[in-house]
Amino acid sequence: MEEVKNGEKLTLVTRKPCFGLPTACPTCLPVYIYLRFAQLPFDVEYNLIYPDSDQIPYVEFGSHVVYNNEKGGVIQSLKDEQTVDLDSDVSGIPEWVSTKAMVESWLAEAVMYELWVGSDGSSAQKIYYSDLPWPIGKCLYFKQIHMVKQLLGITKGNAERREEEIYRRAATAYNALSTRLGEQSFFFENRPTSLDAIFLGHALFTLHALPETSVLRSKLLDHANLVRYAENLKAEFVDADSSSSSVSPSRSDPSSSVPKRGPSNWKSNPKSKPKREKTEEEKKFKRRAKYFLVTQLVAVLVFISLLGRSNDAEVEFEDGDDGLDYE
Amino acid sequence: MAASFEDNSTGQPKDDALKSTAPARTEPEEDNDNDDDDSQEEDDDEEEEEEDDDEDEQPPLTRQARMQSDRAKMEALFRRLSTERVPVRVHDVLIKGNAKTKDSLIEAEVEALKTATTVQELLQAAGIANARLQRLEIFDSVNITLDSGPPELPGTANVVVEVVEAKNPLSGDFGIFSKPEARSWSLEGSVKLKNLFGYGDLWDGSLAYGWDQTSEISAGLSLPRFKGLMTPLMARISLLSQDWSKFSSYKERALGFSLGLLSSRNHDLSYNLSWRTLSDPSQISSRTVRRQLGHGLLSTLKYTFKVDRRNSPLRPTQGYAFVSTSQLGGLVPDYRSLRFLRQEFDLRYAFPLGLLNAALNFGISSGVVFPWGNGFLNRPSYLPERFFLGGNSSPVCTLGGPTSILGFKSRGLGPAEPRRQVGENSTTESADASSEMDFLGGDFAVTGFADLSFDIPLKVFRDAGIHGHAFACTGSLTSLTENSYREFSLTKFKESFRHSAGFGIIVPTKLFRMEVNYCYILKKHEHDRGKTGVQFSFSSPL
Repeated sequence: MEEVKNGEKLTLVTRKPCFGLPTACPTCLPVYIYLRFAQLPFDVEYNLIYPDSDQIPYVEFGSHVVYNNEKGGVIQSLKDEQTVDLDSDVSGIPEWVSTKAMVESWLAEAVMYELWVGSDGSSAQKIYYSDLPWPIGKCLYFKQIHMVKQLLGITKGNAERREEEIYRRAATAYNALSTRLGEQSFFFENRPTSLDAIFLGHALFTLHALPETSVLRSKLLDHANLVRYAENLKAEFVDADSSSSSVSPSRSDPSSSVPKRGPSNWKSNPKSKPKREKTEEEKKFKRRAKYFLVTQLVAVLVFISLLGRSNDAEVEFEDGDDGLDYE
Repeated sequence: MAASFEDNSTGQPKDDALKSTAPARTEPEEDNDNDDDDSQEEDDDEEEEEEDDDEDEQPPLTRQARMQSDRAKMEALFRRLSTERVPVRVHDVLIKGNAKTKDSLIEAEVEALKTATTVQELLQAAGIANARLQRLEIFDSVNITLDSGPPELPGTANVVVEVVEAKNPLSGDFGIFSKPEARSWSLEGSVKLKNLFGYGDLWDGSLAYGWDQTSEISAGLSLPRFKGLMTPLMARISLLSQDWSKFSSYKERALGFSLGLLSSRNHDLSYNLSWRTLSDPSQISSRTVRRQLGHGLLSTLKYTFKVDRRNSPLRPTQGYAFVSTSQLGGLVPDYRSLRFLRQEFDLRYAFPLGLLNAALNFGISSGVVFPWGNGFLNRPSYLPERFFLGGNSSPVCTLGGPTSILGFKSRGLGPAEPRRQVGENSTTESADASSEMDFLGGDFAVTGFADLSFDIPLKVFRDAGIHGHAFACTGSLTSLTENSYREFSLTKFKESFRHSAGFGIIVPTKLFRMEVNYCYILKKHEHDRGKTGVQFSFSSPL
């Protein structure tokens, strides 16, 4: 696999579009934006039936395929094969490397947490499971939540501590990025790099796909320059020539996308956390319910044994006059 | 033990009757398959008697005289039974010996006895009921005794059904079976639990490993006569995994639940709900397979109509068979489940040629699958539900739709697509180009064959059942979905047929049925995997 052969168009296969985004999955969106930055013409196809695959997003050209779980991901593979490398100048700058590492670790974790654990799951259901039949969707959803908790190291005991840590890191990252960006259009050297693609994907997802009660979203909205950066680049690269890329779904048509939420009316009402009290109340309620059920069970058992014993007495009594009618 | 008595209307005193009915046979536990049962009759017409143990009321007879009078009595009985209809009415059916089994189950099987009006009918119905009860497989022995009814009701009989329940409800099994759904043979071990709840229920769990890397673990419940329903009910839950990586670059996992709704000699109706996942861990699949990877929910209703009038399923020399299988998928109102329609036809005809026990077998099988629902003309059909031709199963014995053309490998022909190209290594291995193709199956398949089987004229082979055959096969596989049907034309269809011919020897043994064939490929297409040469095939001995 050397270069893109002339005449063979790239095809990008991602998850479904919704919330006004060309693809709503947080791992697929950066790849889409990177290809847009590189100004490569490509087709988009959707895979609506494989939410738990780590092969998606993938890029095909001719009989070659670049999968997400090979060789460091699609963007890295495209750079390695010199198909399109936007980072040739900046990849040596240590600041660039560390900023990219921060975005790829802290912010990616934060989005994963927020999407599967932190929010009520409606966004995840819409993006990943709305085209699968209900029983399959539900099973896969719970499986994914379990897997994310394992990945992030969240257990019953440290759930709150981990959540706080994840949000704190995200806030720190946003601060640093906001400072780094200032009033520029791009992070480094005033031109798009893969860092821009990755962060733009993250920002657009956080702003548009997460619900308004999301804590992560409110933290991002605190930084006006980041929000402006995201909206400007979206208007320029993502929305602008949506006509040039043809779109075809696989297996079934994706449901129509939710109307866009404009930048002027960003609303944010993160849920204040009465969770602590709630959990204590819940625990008390659960304990009481358990006692109640146990008492009921014991009462039923006692009743059955008493009834059984009295029945036995009756039966013994009846046995005596049985065979007399026998001829 | 009921007492014997006679028809009081004739006025014969009881003592006299007992005298005449010497205790001939004290075997109340006989089967009713022979007419030698316990019923004896008197000079008068209408009832049946049984031996009595009150020997002290009789005058002492010599043994010789007793036997003679017994024989005379039996002959009189048979004469009467063979010449005239002896009317009788069944008064009651008594069931004994069932500690666990529910009465309703046994009563359902002996229903016919209650409507018998003559002794002959009663004997016949008793024989049938006995066979039915034994077929439930939950009793060690079954005895049906015809007894005389209560003394105040003349002309009646009681039926006593005595069963001995199987002591050990658990049984295990291990063997080589042929699975028509998987189209292959497999090694299977199963554990059966009989009659756990007394309804004649048969629980079984089984583990199967198939020749084509299919493995399945399943558990099932079978209720042969639940609450008197005529048709047996069957339910099965299974986890099946099939590895098609070598042929089509995908692996299939299915978690399914199936319910047998109707099962009789000619008709079979079943419902299947399963969650299928297609995955490709090797990541080398072709484009079409890549598009189909993922999860799917299948909710299908399958109806099979079968008429098999051949004289043998393995080596038919006479008769015909016809099977039609229809499958409708997508019954749940959820539009996201897989919707398709699948129809298969099989026709077989055999006629004998006389010499050397030879027979000519013809057969034609065809099948078509098509999706339905919104946008069905553009949608591709579901990959595992398509037709795949190839493999070594003998077309004479299998009745499961178009499956094989001898000489071609499993999934070895039909529409194919190149796999993913990885690096530049592909150019150096281009010699074996067909190993880099994925076989995608087709939506419309037709196969036909002609087979001449004959005995080998050596006595030792004939006794062992080893015979030879010469055959010619042909088949075609085309795709119709995704608008390919617009390019369908008769010339192209004729072009798409592959042919092969050959001869071989069939060796049936107790464990399996082996075929050794020499196949010559007469016509194949560019990427087909078919080789001229000797091939072996194994199938179940049935």
